[in-house]
Amino acid sequence: MLNRRNLLAGLAALALSAPAALAQDALKIAFIPQENPEKLLGDIDVITAWMGEQMGLSVQGFITFDHAAAVEALRNGDADISFMGALPFVLAEAQIGAEPLLSEVYKGAPSYAGRIFVRRDSGIETLADLQGRDIAFADPVSESGYLYPLDLFVEQGLFTGTDGAADFFGNSFFAGGYQQAMQAMANGLVDAAGASQYADLLLSPEQQAEIRVLAESVQIPSHAIIARPDLDAGIKAQFTEVMLTLNEAENNHLLAYLYGPDGYVRADLAAYDGVRDMATKYGLLE
Amino acid sequence: MKRFLATTALCLLPAMAQATALEDAPWAPRAAAYRLTLFLGNLDPMPWDLLDSSWTTPVAGSARDIAAFENMTESETRGISQALEDQDRQALFLAATDVIENGILRSLAKASDNLGTPEAAQHIARAETLYRAFADGIQAADRSGFHQNGRAWLALNSAVGSAGLSQAGALEADRDAFNAARETIETYLMQNYTAADFMPRSTLTTVPETIHSSGAEIEVPVALPPGSNIADQRELPRLVLQFEEAGLDEADMPLVAYGDMLFDSPEIFGGPARDLGMACSTCHNRSDVNRDFFIPGLSSHAGGMDVDGSFFNSMFNDRTDDHLDTPSMRGIRFTAPYGRDGRESSLRRFTRNVIVTEFAGKEPTPFQLDALIAYMRQFDFLPNPKIDDAGRLTDLASEAAKRGEALFNTPFEGLNGRACATCHTPDRNFRDGMTYDIGSSEAPFEGGTVTQFDTPTLRNINFSAPYMHDGSLPTLESVVDWFNDSKSLGLDDAERGDLTAYLYAVGDGEDPYQVFKGRETTFRLAWEELTTFASTLNTLIPMQDAENIALLVDTVAADLAADASTMVNQAAKADVYRLSSLLRAAGDASAGDNWAEAAAAWDAFKTLQSELDEAMY
Repeated sequence: MLNRRNLLAGLAALALSAPAALAQDALKIAFIPQENPEKLLGDIDVITAWMGEQMGLSVQGFITFDHAAAVEALRNGDADISFMGALPFVLAEAQIGAEPLLSEVYKGAPSYAGRIFVRRDSGIETLADLQGRDIAFADPVSESGYLYPLDLFVEQGLFTGTDGAADFFGNSFFAGGYQQAMQAMANGLVDAAGASQYADLLLSPEQQAEIRVLAESVQIPSHAIIARPDLDAGIKAQFTEVMLTLNEAENNHLLAYLYGPDGYVRADLAAYDGVRDMATKYGLLE
Repeated sequence: MKRFLATTALCLLPAMAQATALEDAPWAPRAAAYRLTLFLGNLDPMPWDLLDSSWTTPVAGSARDIAAFENMTESETRGISQALEDQDRQALFLAATDVIENGILRSLAKASDNLGTPEAAQHIARAETLYRAFADGIQAADRSGFHQNGRAWLALNSAVGSAGLSQAGALEADRDAFNAARETIETYLMQNYTAADFMPRSTLTTVPETIHSSGAEIEVPVALPPGSNIADQRELPRLVLQFEEAGLDEADMPLVAYGDMLFDSPEIFGGPARDLGMACSTCHNRSDVNRDFFIPGLSSHAGGMDVDGSFFNSMFNDRTDDHLDTPSMRGIRFTAPYGRDGRESSLRRFTRNVIVTEFAGKEPTPFQLDALIAYMRQFDFLPNPKIDDAGRLTDLASEAAKRGEALFNTPFEGLNGRACATCHTPDRNFRDGMTYDIGSSEAPFEGGTVTQFDTPTLRNINFSAPYMHDGSLPTLESVVDWFNDSKSLGLDDAERGDLTAYLYAVGDGEDPYQVFKGRETTFRLAWEELTTFASTLNTLIPMQDAENIALLVDTVAADLAADASTMVNQAAKADVYRLSSLLRAAGDASAGDNWAEAAAAWDAFKTLQSELDEAMY
């Protein structure tokens, strides 16, 4: 049985139908919540129907509360596959031996960066200028929306560790997502935002012209689709092949139901070395 | 960690003033119904059937395919249903506002009950998606309230903490911070969105009640309701310009280039059309039709709308729900008269009518009309090798089409002894310049005279479905069936198939859609167009024509900056902003009668344009 933590109670029955205790003629996929939970529920209906049709088996999608719940679902077999960011993936890899199958592609690359954004008229020129000012990050378990942007300050010696941030900034918020963090900055609610390099595209074109990039992190592997370690190899291979057909022109429109990447490539395990190092640096990995 | 949603902008605030396509993020079903209710409730007359379905059926633009009623309490449903039944506008507004306020309050309470669990964050997210329904009114009317509430939402999202990942990176919930932020939002909502306290409103808006009741004049930026689509087109039609096909460059034809700019400029319209960034090209995109254009309450289906309702120009409101299918403008110089009812023989007069009466623009200057006409006269049809210059089928057409050609030229008793070809005359581009009552419309009153409609060309019609003046027939097959039935033509299945094949043959065209590949991106197309528009400054600055320079700069500088958001090469985005600023500088200098400075800024623009050109995709 799924425990309460694993499932997002009170949402649509279809997306939340308990996937436990099914034979392997069904595939159970965990989706991570996003800024707009209602949209994700609608998206899951469409994309799981398509996956099921392509794979010739029942595909059930469900939304977990968070990454921890997704990893837990993979660990106990409530989920076979999960969408996941690079940071939670390396933790899941260490904890349960999860395996990456596919990486998302944005703007031609399976990697991206974290950035610190400010308004052009803010007068803020350096990271040091943000001392005592307010910043919004996306989420505490986010590589591009927290850890990597935060590390930019640490690398400049402005403070150490996540604890040092509390003293450095005036107020530091977790806005709930890239879009909320960026809107908060663009609307003048905070002075800066830490978010994905593409998060400016979540603003209106007029807002995009009013902001600028203050700093950019090293490249981070893009979000991945990962599998529980003991999932049948044939199913992993079939799922991977089906997902790669989303790169074909006639299937491209379906990417909008999957967090909107440009496409997918097979995951490269070595690409995550930098993330493992970063997780170790901040005490998330031993 | 949350995910990047999409490669195009998904705006959480309602889409407003911009010329560039901005995809509206899907709305929570109740918020979608509420926003649609405000929009439809401000139309005159109010479309009560659509208002009813806004709540009882899923709304396009909703995040989920469910009706708002499914997420409402019994008493909320009763309140909406009663107001709809009574057709009571104010009661509907109050009940709808209650639905959103109560929904936010309920989600905040659930978040509080579940604080310390991951569920709390989801309830906050759901509350925030409903708050979005009010956000534009608060932002426009109460900056400090907007700021205070925005900070409270940030505090709420932070206060719920995080489970981290299996204990790594966990953050504990902060009950005190949560309560304080919750109280801020709840107090604001209760002071401003408790409907029982509302004063009557002449215009239904999301302006907070404390501001509205103070009598302050608040202008909320115009917004279209969920389900609207005015700028996002699946396939972009290919534009065939006569001079371009002949090898000439638009940059060498300043009047045409300026007309091209005006065709893409919201600045020539007034009121909501201008504020929404609508231009001629919004509906007549690339000389053809934006087949995806749709505004709930104004469009009965995609590809057209009622252009003489209350929304765009209340002065021109005919109070009749009469959707018009947007006609293609391909070959427009050959297809007079203009208007579906053929009311204008002059394209110039018709264009003036569109600007001034339909979209509330100022009277265009003779120069502006000259420019628009010079540009539009360059629109040609897509070449079609299946017909010759006299409109006869060539050997490339199928046998079925050739059999259909014979039927097309056959007189029928049901057509008063005429043939299809009598009106759709093949050697006159398949039209005859006349208007007819073919039974596709009804008289406005018993015994009244039925409106006659212009014979449309059949050239390139394969790409401009649906058909008839009101777009009531979805396919060419259905058009043939309609004539066969309504005119008793007596065609059997095979003959109808042949006649349809003929229509598809004469309606065909080569390469109907723009192909984007590699660096040939939508931004590249916009870049080339916008820099061509700007090239008219080579003429306007020496003429010291400040008025037309201002219009050009307001259009092109804004579009350049906005279109930068669509670039594939995002690394070069900031360069486009620099270029846009240079154009603004040229405009500012000319407005200040400083012509040397204007010329210098324009020269700097051209230099930078040349340097950047390769990176512009």
